[in-house]
Amino acid sequence: MAGPLPVLELQDAMPLFDETGIAPAPFTMRLLPGDCALIACRDVERGAMFADLCCGMVTLASGVVRCTGLDWTMLGTLQANALRGRIGRVSRQGAWLDILGTDANIVLPQLHHTRRPERDILEEAQALAERFGLPGLPVERPSHLTPGDRLRAALVRACLGTPLLLVLENPIAGAENELGAVFLDVLTRARHRGAAVVLLTRDIGPWRGQHGFFTHRLHLLDEGLYAMRRTG
Amino acid sequence: MSAPGVDHDAPFGRLARLRWRFLSLLATIGRATRAQMRFTLMFVGVAWGVVCESVRPHSWRRTTRLEFRRCVREIVAGGLLSVLVTAVLAGIGVVSQTVYWLGFAGLAQMTGSILVSVLVRDVAPILVGIILLGRNGMLSTAELGLLNINGQIRGILGVGLDPFTLLLLPRAVAFMLGGFTLGIIFSVTTLVMGYMASRVTGAINSSVWSFFTDVVSSMGAIDFVLIPVKFVLVGFFVGTGSCLTGLMAAPQDDVSSLLPVAFTRGITMVMVVTILFSLSL
Repeated sequence: MAGPLPVLELQDAMPLFDETGIAPAPFTMRLLPGDCALIACRDVERGAMFADLCCGMVTLASGVVRCTGLDWTMLGTLQANALRGRIGRVSRQGAWLDILGTDANIVLPQLHHTRRPERDILEEAQALAERFGLPGLPVERPSHLTPGDRLRAALVRACLGTPLLLVLENPIAGAENELGAVFLDVLTRARHRGAAVVLLTRDIGPWRGQHGFFTHRLHLLDEGLYAMRRTG
Repeated sequence: MSAPGVDHDAPFGRLARLRWRFLSLLATIGRATRAQMRFTLMFVGVAWGVVCESVRPHSWRRTTRLEFRRCVREIVAGGLLSVLVTAVLAGIGVVSQTVYWLGFAGLAQMTGSILVSVLVRDVAPILVGIILLGRNGMLSTAELGLLNINGQIRGILGVGLDPFTLLLLPRAVAFMLGGFTLGIIFSVTTLVMGYMASRVTGAINSSVWSFFTDVVSSMGAIDFVLIPVKFVLVGFFVGTGSCLTGLMAAPQDDVSSLLPVAFTRGITMVMVVTILFSLSL
């Protein structure tokens, strides 16, 4: 009997060196619904490339990357964009359109990819913003927010709707503080809904106490992905 | 055996240097030509894409419609005052002078046709194009260029937002609508102000209705189609060119290097549209 379809599957996926400038190495990983992978990577560039690889934005020299069973290379632009619309992402460069307010930036992917009423989206975004410690949806432009508030806004945007996959690049330093607890709670709810999570972090230390939370603990190195030994 | 201190390779060295300089010159010319052609070819492709996608309902999602409304508001409401001031000055300067000198030369009956052929057909699209370019085109280039340089365009691609559908398409169509609206406002205002100035100076004695009847009757049937099309195309070329210049920005670019390029391209496109239509008329 076939098991559940993996949300994200990398099979010997080797990025094209000319495009990424990252040492070509095959990556293999398989995340089922509800899985959560903690990936330690000290090099933020490499981490960003890996996040792009999961979202089908990197040309492959060999191998395959599938999201919900769909091979990114076989999808047209419209289909690929629609699938990316089901991915909640906190990226290194922020991905903010500074010509719009932060509130518009937060709801933009949901407005674009879904037919949900705008009021519903705004209410959900408002509730998530309050959970993450914002007084409401910030209306200032993203560049006018403090880094902390911008991070909270990025988390709201990533968790809005019902993402199939969450790809989070260094979202928070750890789970020790209040934001960390809320963050883990929101991730748990998303995983219960069937979402898979890729959490990239520069420093594994603050997450050592949460080893039961993650189904995969990996190191992202030049040579590829390697499982890390549990020490916490 | 050669005398000491004499360099027998000197002519060859000079030749090699000359050859190197010539090749460098060719390379510079080639780079510039390729860069210019790259924009032209990209422009043709993107313009065709805008035409095709703008008629597909699927392209007009909520986010695209929001951006379209925002841009129309910025272009029309934001540019209205500039257009009105320019139109008043052009009306006082161009129209009243035309009416005065035609009357002086005994050619008052040609007032309408001269105004239509010079002012409405040629001057109005150029001035409206320059206002659109300076006020909104440069802004679009700077906005999209900075988004591109800072990696935010790649960032929004990561969440499935296509910059063409989200940013370029609504802006190009908004520029078309803005070009048409501001062009018609400019033409009417200029003629009204020109009439008023001529009336005050005594260069014209007829009523405003007969003045406008004279202008309208001197327009052929084709003018009623081609003049609005010219305004629309000026807006389209300025909008698409400005947005494309911003989206094609390289990582090493900055606003100070993008804006002069966008301005030159925009002016060239405005002139090309105006001249092509003038030839066809």
